[in-house]
This record gives sequence, structure tokens and C-alpha cells, in this order.
Amino acid sequence: MLAYAVRRVLATVPLLVLGTFIVYVLVAVSGDPLAKLATCNTCDQSAFDRIIDLYDLDKPIPERYANWIVNAVQGDFGPAVSYGSLDAGALVLERAANSARIAIPAFLIIMAIAVALGVYSAVNQYSRLDYAVTGLSFLGISLPTFVFALLLQTIMIWMLDGFGWRPFYVTGMRTIELDGFLDMIRSHVLPVITLVLVLTASESRFQRAAMLEVINSDYIRTARAKGVPHRRVILRHGLRNALIPMVTIWALDFAALLGGSVVTETIFAWPGLGPLFISAVTQLDLNLTMAIVMLTSLLVITFNLIADLAYGWLDPRIRYE
Amino acid sequence: MSEAAIDAREGITTESRSFGRQARDRFRRHRLAMVALVVLALLTLSFIVGPWLSPYAFSDQDFTALNQGPSLAHPFGTDPIGRDLMVRTFIGGRYSLRIALLIALLTTAIGTVIGAVSGYFGGVVGAVVDQLINLFLVVPALIILIVLAARYGSGPNAIAVVIALLSWPLIARIVRGSFLQSREQEFVLAARAAGASTVRIMFRHILPNVFGPIVVNATLLIGIAIILESTLGFLGLGVRPPVPTLGNLIAEAKGALQTKPSAALIPGGFIVAITLCANFIGDGLRDALDPTARRS
Amino acid sequence: MTAPLLEVEDLRVTFGTDDGDVRAVQGLSFTVSEGETLAVVGESGSGKTVAALAIMRLLPRYARIEGSIRFRGTSLLDLDDDGMRGLQGDDLAMVFQDPMTALNPVITVGDQIVEAIRTHRDVTEAAARDRAAELLDLVGIPEPRRRLDSYPHEFSGGMRQRAMIAMAISNDPKLLIADEPTTALDVTVQAQVMEVIRRVQEATGTAVMLVTHDLGLVAGTADRIQVMYGGRLFESGDTDTVFYGSRNPYTLGLMASIPSAVGRTAHRLEPIPGSPPSLINLPEGCVFGPRCAFATDACRSEPELRVVDAATGHATRCHRADELPALIAARAAPREAGA
Repeated sequence: MLAYAVRRVLATVPLLVLGTFIVYVLVAVSGDPLAKLATCNTCDQSAFDRIIDLYDLDKPIPERYANWIVNAVQGDFGPAVSYGSLDAGALVLERAANSARIAIPAFLIIMAIAVALGVYSAVNQYSRLDYAVTGLSFLGISLPTFVFALLLQTIMIWMLDGFGWRPFYVTGMRTIELDGFLDMIRSHVLPVITLVLVLTASESRFQRAAMLEVINSDYIRTARAKGVPHRRVILRHGLRNALIPMVTIWALDFAALLGGSVVTETIFAWPGLGPLFISAVTQLDLNLTMAIVMLTSLLVITFNLIADLAYGWLDPRIRYE
Repeated sequence: MSEAAIDAREGITTESRSFGRQARDRFRRHRLAMVALVVLALLTLSFIVGPWLSPYAFSDQDFTALNQGPSLAHPFGTDPIGRDLMVRTFIGGRYSLRIALLIALLTTAIGTVIGAVSGYFGGVVGAVVDQLINLFLVVPALIILIVLAARYGSGPNAIAVVIALLSWPLIARIVRGSFLQSREQEFVLAARAAGASTVRIMFRHILPNVFGPIVVNATLLIGIAIILESTLGFLGLGVRPPVPTLGNLIAEAKGALQTKPSAALIPGGFIVAITLCANFIGDGLRDALDPTARRS
Repeated sequence: MTAPLLEVEDLRVTFGTDDGDVRAVQGLSFTVSEGETLAVVGESGSGKTVAALAIMRLLPRYARIEGSIRFRGTSLLDLDDDGMRGLQGDDLAMVFQDPMTALNPVITVGDQIVEAIRTHRDVTEAAARDRAAELLDLVGIPEPRRRLDSYPHEFSGGMRQRAMIAMAISNDPKLLIADEPTTALDVTVQAQVMEVIRRVQEATGTAVMLVTHDLGLVAGTADRIQVMYGGRLFESGDTDTVFYGSRNPYTLGLMASIPSAVGRTAHRLEPIPGSPPSLINLPEGCVFGPRCAFATDACRSEPELRVVDAATGHATRCHRADELPALIAARAAPREAGA
């Protein structure tokens, strides 16, 4: 299995190189650092030279990319010029940690709710609760993140106006070290709820579909024919099989959450990867954009690999040679 | 054999309603989908007719009513420079719906062709499409969108084209799966043996079998497209103002959430309504077009 | 005579669908005695499998089941779920049609058999595993102890069906229902699996209800045969009586379509014209009427199941049962002359 994992990782290298190269070219051809300088009346030639030297602008783009990747592999992502020339790698890691603060609890809650709702509504297909879950998940799928987040913020504003108090903060991140446990919780709740809503709706639909397929399968009927108690039929025979197709979905969703959610983090002014990414791209900060893309790609690749290995563990029919 | 026996044989009544008719009946029985269809029609109608009936034009300013909440004169309120938000919301709905339809259409067309080609030919073409789809996991769509928008502008049509260029793998994967299955089936082999051309086999023989999932997903795409477009507008990355899409209206109003939440929540409600309708209709179509669907 | 093991009386099973009620089983009555082998024969859609699942109480919840099913005096339809689970897999066991899908793919064969045992018997894991190995040995799986740890996908189709049978008999059932146990298997494996069922029956003394569409399969196995069509019982009697003295045009048609001639009417392969009726829109009168070569005006009314030989219990559902032997002779004669 280790050999398989190594082979899988190596197989993703060309994809990673091609992907980052495309991003590099896209950003590099769009953002000419000299353009801004050209409108500067007081700047002399030495300023131009400094910029040219800093970005290797005298070299062709493939060569610049090659330099970038050689440094990147060694952990040097260069300065983030749109952020006071902070080290791009360090900045991205710091923001990634902030994203993880809401991504991890959100993911755990999503998994728990989606599995429970999906299994329950599949087992009780066409029951009132099944219809309720279906209706709610349709609403969840149809409700854009930013509308839901604005709704939550509006409710908090109303509470503040009406009672002079609100349970949760509408913007900003508070930490346990600086602000204490209570404030930390109060600032995390709304972003987490927003992330949960977005993904729970679709994940519980997938889980329901997976469980429905399993429940109508012959081996479930066999288990019932053996007189196995209902709970055990559902959990031991049903759930185990119905979780197999979920693994890939979990992996992709978790990787996406950890990579920062653009909308949620922007609305709640959360200092995560999402807003950083938007500002890096709109300001065409090449080093910063590349550092973020590198991290998010690695997350996707890693979790895909984990999903693959988990498949083999859950499903004895799959063997890695 | 006696006369009676012949008569008795004519008593055989088998179910022979056509598939199309059965599908239509099943869709009609899907009450939510029917309601959604009516609601969507009404919404579309109000987007078209509403601005025309309103006493205000979409850029008319009413200096006696700046930045107001809902009132009798202005049911949705006004914006900070006194423009009537009802007219602006209807016009915004018109743009958003038009963009969403365009996205759904383009995405379906691109996805179907690529999915069909890669599914039918497999091999190298299939592998290339596979890698393209994988590439989208590495290259964030937002980067392409921002860069392309900076280069080719961000009018409604340009944004629709860019979003379609980024979302086709969704449809391509579905169509490809169906083509992979159909490729080896007997009716295809029979058509090939009869000397039908490749294009004819793909589009006359196989495509009709994939029609159901394509239509269903095109419908669902309308909902996804509305959300995508409005989210981009909200982030300031979508259709460039002053074109008033629903997302842009919310972006304009988000600063005044404290004093006048209706300005953001009303267009938000319209987005939810359109998306919900598209999803219910898509669900109804799925039940209607899936011959194996069975309900008790 | 003691009460039979299983008594089914006026069983009716209906499925509500969007397109109308599907009446899968209509007024079915029959019995199974201890230790006997009853073959239930019919085409797909005849209601034979639905009847078997109704006895096991394995039909989906939206199925309407009416009538009475008594197993060793207990009314199965009145049992609560727990009471029914006490019988399922214990005194009342079932083998399914497709061994490829009937075993759980993510649980080892051994664990699945052990589960069947420990659900009903208070024994240790180790004892249950010993028993499971014995059972695999009984159904003819080599190296049974090692095979306990195999997953279903590591077994061939025939081996899986053997494992299914081992699992079904793990608690010495009084009645084993086998639903098309060989249909999904290769022809050569079919005979082996039938042999396993016979051997198991000898070893445990269980009664067997063999549900099949293949009349040829049951000739050497069944004590009695019961033919179903359109959700109804069409003919029932001793195996010999049905094979050599059938009084039902549908049964005769079935025998005529057996490739290897068994019955005396089977001179060449003669499929029954048409296809089984839609269970939503059943034909008026005799449900087989539209396909029957002997149908007359009388067949516009539904015939009753009626005993034609009280001594053997031979019963048939046909208005023309009494004239049938003469009619067949008349039809066979010119054909033979012309052949």
C-alpha cells in the first residue's frame, strides 16, 4: 500500500507543475509591475531597475517560473508585495491556520448531521421527516452563502437593536489567548454555521442517495432474512456500505474548507485564506497567489489520496497492487 | 381454434402509453415541480412586465425619498440616491435570469459535445478530458475568471461565457459516462454495422438516450448559475455595475445592512426563489424522465 | 394426520403504484408438510417470488398483505417484528436468487454465517466459527476453515450460493425457502447446487419450498408441484401427476417449452404465445385465456381451482379440465400423422 501511495503522489507531480505553471503565466501576463511605475512621475530609472531585478522581468516567463518552483520546493515563496513584503509562505500558513479554526469544527458538524439525516431519511423514506429533510436540503442548496450570511448578520443587528445585546459577533476573529474563551466562541459561531449550512444540504442528499441504494440491495434483505435486528441491519450491513461512496465527497469538501471559503470569510471579515486569495489575485500579487494555489492544490491532492486509501480499507473488493 | 378463442385473445390490454406521455404524466403528478414551474413563470413575467408598469424608470431619482425602507410609493424602498428598488430588482432579475439561462445553455452545449466525444472515442481524447477536469482541481476557477474578466471585460455576456467555460466538466462527466455505457450496446453496434457515420451514431442514436440526464442537469444549472453569478456580483467580481444584477444590488446594499436590511434581503429572496424553482423543476424532471423511478 | 408445517390461506398481496394497484398474488392457498419438497413453478410475474417473500415477511412496507399464513400454528402476519425476527433465519430460512448480490460485500463469509448463528443461539464466537466451518464443509466448500475469512468477491458464483445455503441452514430450519437458487448460475453449477440442497435436506430433515421458473429442474427433486400464473395457483399435485397427468393448459404449455422432453406432450419446443399479463390490468375471466389454445366462451368467466382427483389432491384451475386429455389427444394425432 505504501508503494501505491508513493506512486499516486508521484503521478500528481506533472498535474501540479502544469497547474501552477498555468496560474503563473495567467497572473504574470496580466500584472505588469512596471505599468504602475510608469504613471509615477517622480520615479527614476533606478526604481525601474529595482523592480526589474526583483521580479526577474528581464527573463522570459518560463525561466521565471522555473526559478520560482526551485525556490518554492525549498519553502521559499518570496515576498508578498501587496502585504508589505511579508514572507508569502509564512503569511499563507498563518491565514490557513485561521481558516482551519472554522473549517475543522464545521466539517465535523457537517459529517455528523449529514450522515444522521441522510441515513434516517433513507431508512424512513417518504416519512414526514424524510420530506422535511428533503425540503430543508433543497432550501439549503438554493440559498446562496452570502444571502444566508447577511441574514444571520441582520438577525444579530435586530437583536442588538431590540435587546441591546447579541449572542454572536458579526465580524472579525477573536482568539482564546487575546479575548478569552467566551469571545472566541462568540466570534466563531456564525462563520461555522454558514459553512455548515452550505455543505450539509448537499452532503445529506448524497448520503441519503447512497443509503437508499444500499437499503434496497439484496444483501440487506439477506440480513433481514437471518432475523438480524433492525438497528444492526442498518448500522452494520447498511451504513458501512453507504459510507464508501461518501469518502471522496468528504475529502473534496474538507480540502475545500481548509483551503479557505472566499464568501463566508469575506462577509464575516475572517482573516483566513479566502479574503487573502481574493486580494492577492485582484492585486496580481504573483508570489502570494502562487503560495496560496500551491497550498490549496496540495490539500486537494493529499485528501484525494487519503480518500483513495480509505476506500481500500472500507471496501475489501479494492486492492492496491 | 374457435371464434371465441380469437375474441378472447383480443382481450389482451397491455400498457402501451408512449414514454413521452408517461414522462409528462409523471411530471404533472410531481406537485412541487408544477408549483415551481408556475412560480418561475410568474417571476419571469414580473421581471419583464414589472418595470414597464412601474411609474419609475430604473435610473429615475426621487429626491424626496432617499435611502428609504419599503413604503407604499416604493414597495421595495429606495437606494441612497433615491432610485426605486422595485424597478431595479425587476431589471436585476431580468439580467440575472438572462445570464443564468445563457450559462446553462452554453455549459450544456460545451459539456455535451466534449462528454460525447471523450465518451465515444475514449482512449487519448478521454484521457485528455480527464486531465483537464483534474487540472480544474489545481487551477482555481476564480483566477481564470478574474484574469479573463480583466482582459475581455465583464459585461453580462462575457461573464456568462467565462462561467460556462469553467463549469462544463460537470455536464461532460455525466454525458461521458452515458456514452461509455452506450458505446458497446447492441443498437450502436447495429447502427455501425448498417454503415451509419460516426457523427450520426453519436448524435442520432446515442444522444437521445442521454437526453434525460442532460435536460435535468441543464435545469439544475440554471439554479447554480444564478447563485454563481450573484455571488461573483456580491464579491465585486461579476458583471460590472451599473448593470443591476441581483448580486450587484445586494453588493450595493450590504453596507447599509444596519439601517435598511430589506435592500439586501429582498433581492436575496428573489435569488432563493429562482434557484428553488429551478431545483424543484429539475427534481420533477428527473423523476419524470427516469424510467426506473418508482414511488409508492 | 398432524397439522402441516406451513398453511397459507387466501393470500393476497397488492402493491400500490402511481399507475394503479399491482395485484401480485390473488387468493393463494397451499400447505407444506414437514420434510417435504414443494416446487412452486411459474414465469416471472406469476407471483411465486412475492408469495415466498410474503411468507418470510420480507416485502417492502408499502405492500398490502391479506389472508393468513400459519407456520407451525403461529400466524405470521399477526406477529410483531421482534417475534418474526425470532423465526427468520431460525426455523424459517431463505436462499435468494442472485448469490452475487445477496451476500454483503464488505463482511467476510465467516462473519456473515457466524452472525446468522449468534442472532439465534447463545454461543461463543469460537463455537459459532466451528459450526460455520462445519456448515461450509457440508455444502462442499474445500478448506472451509480458511475460507471463513474470505470475502464474497473471492468466491465463485457457485461457491457463493453454497455459502448462502450454509448460512440459511445454520440453525437447522424447519422450512427452507429457495427462490430461484440456480437461475443466476452456469448450467454445470446448477446441478451441483441442487445436489447440495438435496444433501442438506437429508442431513437436516428440513422441508424445502423450491421457487423456480424451470419445470425441468424440479422433476427429480420435488414431492409436489404447484404451478402459478398471474398471481393465482393454476395447478397443484404430486410431481408424477403433474408431469404425466396435467389437467391444465398452462402447465402443459410450460412442459412443452422444456428443451429436453420430459412430459409426454413435449414433442418439440413450443413456447407459449404472448407474454404474462400486466398485473395492473388483468384480463377479464380466466387470466390465461388470452394465451390459451383451448379457450372458449366459458373462459370469459374466471374458473375456480377445483380438485380433480381427491385421492392425490390433484387440483387445477381450468373450465375444460375434464375434456383436456381428449383435446390433447385430438391435437397430437394429426401432427404425428403429418410428421
